[in-house]
Amino acid sequence: MNMLSKSILLLILAQVLNATAAADKLKLPPGMGGVPDIGTIPCEVFNEMIVIGPLGTKRLLLTWAEGFYQAKSGKSIDELLDIANESGQSWDFDSLTGHFAEFCAANPDLLTVAAVVDLGAHLLNAATLKQLH
Amino acid sequence: MTSATTNNITGKSKLWKPPIVGIVTFVLMLFAIALGHTLMVLIEHGLGQENTYIASVFIGIGAIILLWYGVKSNNENLQTWIGFITGLLIWMTWVEFFFMFYGRSNWGMLPRMDGVDGLNVSGTFPEYMIMGATVGILMMQLCFYTFDKDTRCNLFLWIQRKLGLQEGLGSSTKRSRDRNYAVITFMETIYVTWFCYIWNLLCFDPGLVGSEDLFFGLNMVTVFVAFVWSGYCFFRLLKFKRTSTALRYAIPVGSIFWVSVEVATKWNLFTEIWVRPWDYKIEMSVVLGAFLALVLLLILAPKKPSELGRSRSA
Repeated sequence: MNMLSKSILLLILAQVLNATAAADKLKLPPGMGGVPDIGTIPCEVFNEMIVIGPLGTKRLLLTWAEGFYQAKSGKSIDELLDIANESGQSWDFDSLTGHFAEFCAANPDLLTVAAVVDLGAHLLNAATLKQLH
Repeated sequence: MTSATTNNITGKSKLWKPPIVGIVTFVLMLFAIALGHTLMVLIEHGLGQENTYIASVFIGIGAIILLWYGVKSNNENLQTWIGFITGLLIWMTWVEFFFMFYGRSNWGMLPRMDGVDGLNVSGTFPEYMIMGATVGILMMQLCFYTFDKDTRCNLFLWIQRKLGLQEGLGSSTKRSRDRNYAVITFMETIYVTWFCYIWNLLCFDPGLVGSEDLFFGLNMVTVFVAFVWSGYCFFRLLKFKRTSTALRYAIPVGSIFWVSVEVATKWNLFTEIWVRPWDYKIEMSVVLGAFLALVLLLILAPKKPSELGRSRSA
């Protein structure tokens, strides 16, 4: 086998190994509660989780949403809430997470990211309006 | 109790003799465990989680007041019933509901998930994850009973014999009349329930036993041990004549047997109708009716004078 064949074979092998590793889903340590990616689970599952772990489930999705909003707007959740407050909106932990719960209860077939996007429409619009003024 | 006293005076019953006493108390215990689950979910769903936590404080206080009444009584049979009922109530309220409050509300824990995609809420709720962590406290306290010369628990007496402790510990300083069966049954109910919960929880914990071969093997062993252990104790229970003693002995027999029921439930071999009473109203009504009938039968069953406190107060 010449050098070129060896290189191609190694490249293919590396690609196969890489693909196998990518196919492995992220898993939590087995003793833990919850899911590894709360933002991408069906609302139906979120609705069940919220019955058994109301505070933890809400907080986990809010934490996920904070990262999402940061990526979208470049602003922290506190900055977004300050802007929202200035535009007449009033949000706190209960109302933010309550929005997720209400959205998922009404839309069990959607993913939780849809609830995060729906809340983001309020927060990010307020931030955008602030920038326009 | 008047009727029971009359029965006792009139002589030996043809019905209340071995193995009837043992069978009735064993079946009663299984119904009691199932209905204990039902009562918990009914309280939680009826009052809502937040109100349940508040109510559990007062239900527990009520149970302790009832226990105080039982401790003052000189009637062994009444003491046994009160100890059993208050033990169950304290376990449900001050242990399970308090753990539920800390896990679900105060600390914001999440339920453990299972299923192929990890998206099914398993039966290991936050309160049970906390309870699993109490194994060390349980073991520490069981050490006390292992080294207590006044224990009358057959298991601890057997351990004491095997460890060669009996000579060093000396003979018990307490006689039957020195024992208060309300407190004894109260503690027995709590410790047996605690022990069986821990047994199940450790065998179900994927962090300790995974979810494959070890999990399966360990739970198979659990079913085997629970069947053999409870079966052995059941055959001993069949020889009991005194209803008070049989009731106390049936607490561990029923609870150890129930460990297998929990494993079977974990494997989805049947539906836990006792935690979904609203879906199985007729079935659970029958279980409740049968439980109450057995309780009534046991209360009315003829008693020995020692069970009614006569010889103890004499």
